[in-house]
Amino acid sequence: MSDTTTLAQSPDDTAKTSYHYKTGNQGVALDIKDFNLWYGETQALFDTTFPIQKGLVTALIGPSGCGKSTLLRSLNRMNDLVDGLRISGKIEVDGFDIYGKGVDVIALRKRMGMVFQKPNPFAMSIYDNVTYPLRVDGVTKKSILDDTVERCLRSAALWDEAKDRLHDSALGMSGGQQQRLCIARGIASDPEVLLMDEPCSALDPIATAKIENLISQLAGTYTIVIVTHSMTQAARVSHNTGFMYLGRLIEYGATETIFTNPKVPRTNDYVTGRFG
Amino acid sequence: MTVSTEQDIPASGAAGLAAVAAREATAGRRVRRFSSDLSAVGEPALWAFGGALALGIILVAGFLAMIAWNGFTTFWPKPVEQVELRDGTVLAGVATRGGPYRVGEDVLQRLDDTQRAEIEDNNGIANRTLYQTANFDLYGDDFRWISDFEVAQSTTPPDYWYFERQVWGVFIGRIAGLTIDGESRTLDRALLAREQSAARDRFNQIRRLEQRDIGRINFQIERERLAQRRAVLRHGEDSPEAQAAVAEGQARIAEWQDEFRVLQAQVNELRELDRRYRIQMQEVGGREVDVELSQIVRLFPANDLGIFDKIGIYLSRWWEFVSAEPREANTQGGVLPAIFGTVAMTLLMVVFVAPFGVITALYLREYAKQGRVTSLVRISVNNLAGVPSIVYGVFGLGFFAYTMGGTIDQLFYPENLPNPTFGKGGILWASLTLALLTVPVVIVATEEALAAVPRSMREGSLACGASKWQTIRYVVLPKALPGIMTGLILAMARGAGEVAPLMLVGVVKLAPALPIDGFYPFIHLDRSFMHLGFHIFDVGFQSRNSEAGKPMVFVTTLLLLALIVTMNATAITIRNRLKRKYADGQF
Ligand SMILES: Nc1ncnc2c1ncn2[C@@H]1O[C@H](COP(=O)(O)OP(=O)(O)OP(=O)(O)O)[C@@H](O)[C@H]1O
Ligand SMILES: [Mg+2]
Repeated sequence: MSDTTTLAQSPDDTAKTSYHYKTGNQGVALDIKDFNLWYGETQALFDTTFPIQKGLVTALIGPSGCGKSTLLRSLNRMNDLVDGLRISGKIEVDGFDIYGKGVDVIALRKRMGMVFQKPNPFAMSIYDNVTYPLRVDGVTKKSILDDTVERCLRSAALWDEAKDRLHDSALGMSGGQQQRLCIARGIASDPEVLLMDEPCSALDPIATAKIENLISQLAGTYTIVIVTHSMTQAARVSHNTGFMYLGRLIEYGATETIFTNPKVPRTNDYVTGRFG
Repeated sequence: MTVSTEQDIPASGAAGLAAVAAREATAGRRVRRFSSDLSAVGEPALWAFGGALALGIILVAGFLAMIAWNGFTTFWPKPVEQVELRDGTVLAGVATRGGPYRVGEDVLQRLDDTQRAEIEDNNGIANRTLYQTANFDLYGDDFRWISDFEVAQSTTPPDYWYFERQVWGVFIGRIAGLTIDGESRTLDRALLAREQSAARDRFNQIRRLEQRDIGRINFQIERERLAQRRAVLRHGEDSPEAQAAVAEGQARIAEWQDEFRVLQAQVNELRELDRRYRIQMQEVGGREVDVELSQIVRLFPANDLGIFDKIGIYLSRWWEFVSAEPREANTQGGVLPAIFGTVAMTLLMVVFVAPFGVITALYLREYAKQGRVTSLVRISVNNLAGVPSIVYGVFGLGFFAYTMGGTIDQLFYPENLPNPTFGKGGILWASLTLALLTVPVVIVATEEALAAVPRSMREGSLACGASKWQTIRYVVLPKALPGIMTGLILAMARGAGEVAPLMLVGVVKLAPALPIDGFYPFIHLDRSFMHLGFHIFDVGFQSRNSEAGKPMVFVTTLLLLALIVTMNATAITIRNRLKRKYADGQF
């Protein structure tokens, strides 16, 4: 990985600002180009442009309501469910615009796992929850499903707690356990990209550490995009960090640079805790 | 360190507060009160709510208690009283109910002075009692009001019997004689009980032969006749096929008729035998009635019963009620066909309403574009619940029975025309009509249940790469199932208790055959049926003698309630099991 610095500088800190991010050796996973998004009449994302690198962990930080979740949900088209949604610009995967004509949204989502801000297990057993992505894909072989359950629950640091109650309802678990279950579910189908929206907000420090560990392990094989409110978490797990403010990507670059030497004063204020 | 005594603090505190209040009052400001306003605390609202709740509970509990009391006491055997009136008449009967009434002027004139004075002292009010004198065949009436002042003497002689007959209702009187196998015998209770039950067995045997065996033959002959007609209709009257079919059919009919004659002979023989076992009953006035012993369903010496005898009679009457067919224009006997019809129709209705309602709600909530049209549909569906149920009956008769049923008859049962097969009321059309009546409940409940499935769950499923249908099928529907079940339970309760539309689309006073029986094709959806709700209406208000039917109204109501409660309890148990399976134990 090498540091690259590109693009021009703008005096206005709300405009696109200097890019100096890390690049993996596998190229770009998701290339976001001039992406705008409107919820009805209100614009939630403005001219967002940045490449998400394959195999790296990209963190999105910024104050509440700045559009991090919106951006993340745009990546697997979860926003399609919202009435009155409009977009412009492109998000490209392997050169194809995911918002282009004739895109198979279901196939696209199968390539991406997603973990939501709030745990959302289904009203079924733990086992069925984890294997759900495989089963909707038509996998019925029990050995494959069994292996997946163990592998994913181990990765999500839930195996020890869940192995004796795999066929109990998932809704009977604690909030933190449910969130780890959702993480296990998110990686069950071996997705290329893992989208995580504040995955650790419901977890205790030990589980958080385990999840961060998991993220570090998965990095390299998976592309991970993580939204987080914890600066330290972003600093610990991510390679690149994007700082968002009022629907705009203010600054995007290598994590160390963003946290130690940001180009834009507002980023500096945010990461040092002067505003939030 | 300051040390204050315990009395100090409250004393100075209260004084201080009083001083503040006084100062504010003198300053012309509103006095600050030290207790909250009653209405602010909400106490009066609480009393009102409590009162309203209590009133509601009292009304419901009182209603249920009335039904239960009347229902449970009806079958208890009561004593027969012999009442001698002042004018010399003697009558025997069972006191059923009574109460005060205002004595008419003309009656007063006819009384002697002491009695008149007594009644006038009482503001012209006297008590009277309704006696079931029974013996309808002799008296032309079953009941008689007797005022207390008419009575000279009332006794309960132990030799009075209470006979429940197969026809003509109850007989009250003494036993004058017993004929066993043609010979006159002296009365012996053990012998009487034995012979009566043997006679009932004979009676039931005759019925079985007539209804089941001869019924089957009639059914087969009718089938043959229809088959011939079908062949004639299809191939033309003079075609060789039709003639062959007719010849073949006639041969088979002849066979059936031979069998019929054998059975008929058997029946006649049994009848002959049955006539040799008789009982002579004598009413209080001395007139005698002589009937076959098999005509007596139940008999007991009403004034000479131990508690266990009474319990035995009570239970045997209940058993007859739930296990036998009605007799005496439904005022006596059992309601088994009505129980059967109610349950069958309700279950059939659920079979129709569940998929129909759930699919409609699914489409409305999940697939249809939310907008003016869907709101309009929703409002219409909700308002359907306000359409008088008889209108559904009219629709069911016009559309289901006449239009759809008529078409079915023309296409599939032309040989039976002009007699309708499906083109009249029947259990199929009745349950479809009720399904239509209750579908709004299911739609509304299902929509609510679907809306209550958290959006995050759907998103979770979609994010896993599930299609919309997979999401609905595996995530949304299971989660919504308890709510859907609630809707079905409500629909079931509503449907089982509905009567008005059924009167138009297939319920009858007395159904000759059950909708499910042993004859191919076993389930006869075209048949009319009996229903407990209609039974109540019929017995209570349509029978020749509503006083006799009145106790049955309560018993039948009790039974209908018990039936609905049982069906609902079953459904609720299933729902709770589902709920527990997916128990929400978050956080
Ligand atoms: N479904 C929606 N309809 C309309 N507006 C929405 C919708 N979802 C989000 N918004 C708006 O878009 C903006 C960005 O919301 P978003 O959820 O992306 O913020 P966020 O950065 O994830 O905040 P947080 O850190 O609190 O999760 C907010 O102003 C929000 O009100
Ligand atoms: Mg968010």
